[in-house]
Amino acid sequence: MKKALQIKRELQNALRVGWFLAVRSLRRGSKWTTTLIIFIMILTFLNLVVVSGLLLGLISGSFVAFREGYSGEVIVTSAAQRSYIENSQNLITFLEHHQQVKDMSVRYGTSAQILGTLTDLPEKNERANQIGIRLIGLDPVAEERMTHFSRFILHGETLQAGEEGYLLIGANMIKKYSAFADANIPGLDLLTDIDIGDRVRVSITSTEGTIKKDFILKGIVKSKVDEISTRAFITDKELRRLIPVNKNEVQEIAIKTDEAYAPILVKEIKDFMGSYAARVQTSGEAIPSFLRQVETTMGMLGNALSSFALIVASITIFIVVFINAVTKRKFIGIMKGIGVSPLAIECSYIFQAMFYGITGSIVGLFLTFVVLKPFFDAHPINFPFSDGILVATPESATLRVVILLVVTFAAGYIPAKIIVRRNTLDAILGR
Amino acid sequence: MIKTEKLIKSYGKGDLELQVLKNLSLTIQKGEFVAIIGPSGAGKSTLLYQISLLDTPTSGGVYINGKNMSSLPEKEKTYFRLRELGYVFQDYALLPELTAIENVALPILMQGVSKITALKQAEEALARLSLTEKKHNLPSELSGGQQQRVSIARAIAHKPHILFADEPTANLDSVSAEPVMEAFAELHKDGQTIIMVTHETEYANKAGRVISLKDGIVVGDAKNA
Repeated sequence: MKKALQIKRELQNALRVGWFLAVRSLRRGSKWTTTLIIFIMILTFLNLVVVSGLLLGLISGSFVAFREGYSGEVIVTSAAQRSYIENSQNLITFLEHHQQVKDMSVRYGTSAQILGTLTDLPEKNERANQIGIRLIGLDPVAEERMTHFSRFILHGETLQAGEEGYLLIGANMIKKYSAFADANIPGLDLLTDIDIGDRVRVSITSTEGTIKKDFILKGIVKSKVDEISTRAFITDKELRRLIPVNKNEVQEIAIKTDEAYAPILVKEIKDFMGSYAARVQTSGEAIPSFLRQVETTMGMLGNALSSFALIVASITIFIVVFINAVTKRKFIGIMKGIGVSPLAIECSYIFQAMFYGITGSIVGLFLTFVVLKPFFDAHPINFPFSDGILVATPESATLRVVILLVVTFAAGYIPAKIIVRRNTLDAILGR
Repeated sequence: MIKTEKLIKSYGKGDLELQVLKNLSLTIQKGEFVAIIGPSGAGKSTLLYQISLLDTPTSGGVYINGKNMSSLPEKEKTYFRLRELGYVFQDYALLPELTAIENVALPILMQGVSKITALKQAEEALARLSLTEKKHNLPSELSGGQQQRVSIARAIAHKPHILFADEPTANLDSVSAEPVMEAFAELHKDGQTIIMVTHETEYANKAGRVISLKDGIVVGDAKNA
């Protein structure tokens, strides 16, 4: 008990004197050195947060775009081997009266073919200017509310409610606008020589026969979400008139709700519909699994790069503290000589190192959440498959601050310990 | 009382072994002002380091108040130095990032005293050395003599039983050295035990007792009138 009290007193004293020495060393030491070390700490923190955050952001940007531009927080689609959502009108009524559903877009869909050139028939050994495509019928007003669909218009104009005879085509299906146009991918057909105002012919084939109708191309839609830039769109009313059967059965319902509520809503819809009537998924579940794998890989890559940054930073702090301690070896010897405990001296170096780490982290947090994140949110990095954002959450940043401070602690303590444990007289005499 | 018994300090090994202190035995009483003098290489500083517990003798013992201090673990030696001993080094040895008063307060703080009390005690010690006006100056803003007096203030502020001084005037001109020696004389008058190493006979004669060393042995031990 007595020994425990003595240890406690010694520790308190060492902390107090260590703090006394550290504060004065920082206040009266070289400002340049302090600034340089803090700068290194800021860079290390940014390296820890921003590098992995951007790598994850490449994929997360596409997840966000998928949710905001297509799926909403919950997406209901046709079950496997089914061509539509069963009892979809009942489901729509259920969702319309659900308190947690903020908005939704009901989409009808069918497979179709679009013939781009109506005037010249293909010559011998020449393929028709025709593509197979997913034709979606949507309510322009509901879709605009749900996904701000008009922002995807690359050229031309979006659809208006009640409009007939007009069509939008995804940019990736038109040679002039497609990112894959020069890739010459076997089997990938793109429409050529068509543009806004041109007339195209849509054919819908079913067991009832083939229905053909000509449309005027009103707009080209482009998005990094494939479900937008590889489809064609007309109004829902027009599509329902065109398709011969199951006119009231829909293929997709995108639902806007609270992200946290999405899994609950999924369960509620499944309970309401039964397991086989439709595929009900949160936005995250609807994302293809390979993208999830890419996200994991990016995360690992980011962590690996961050680890290197952390090692470099810890070595830097180690060297800085070591050199600092070596140059003050004589004074460390004098302090020990006049009775300052080695622990107090070590504490002073640890406090200094922690000051560098904490200051670097605070500035790094400020830069991350006040400068960089808002900047990348407003100006995403334009990657071919996504708009790259900076993924940084308070939780992940806190974890990195803790990692940085632990490393800083060790990098401050070890060199101080090495120097302090040397012979007192040798240190005083500079031997 | 300080007593050394058959004190030997050697450096190196085998053929290269150099014995700096050779079976040195002496006794210093409480309240004495002792000057240790001798030519360069006589072992003056080495003796001071052994009896001030900054170094460990090769053999023999250092006894303070009857207790063999040489065998104490390093941690206890540090604690003993903090409580009982004061040091004045040749080159002042002030911490450059602490002001005069902070330098003086440091060993007091280390004893667990509150900061306010430590600074008050430090201020009293500086006043005793006529340095009140310089208390907030950094060492770099003080002259050599002033720095050495701050060093003395630091050594006495925690009221040690024994004050050790290693060539305290070596880096000072005679004008600066005089107040330093006066300070030692004052402290001695108040009953402070002082052990000072010097190579300057003039200052050694201000001590009450002069021990002369040569080649690691005592060749003279005289009391001044």
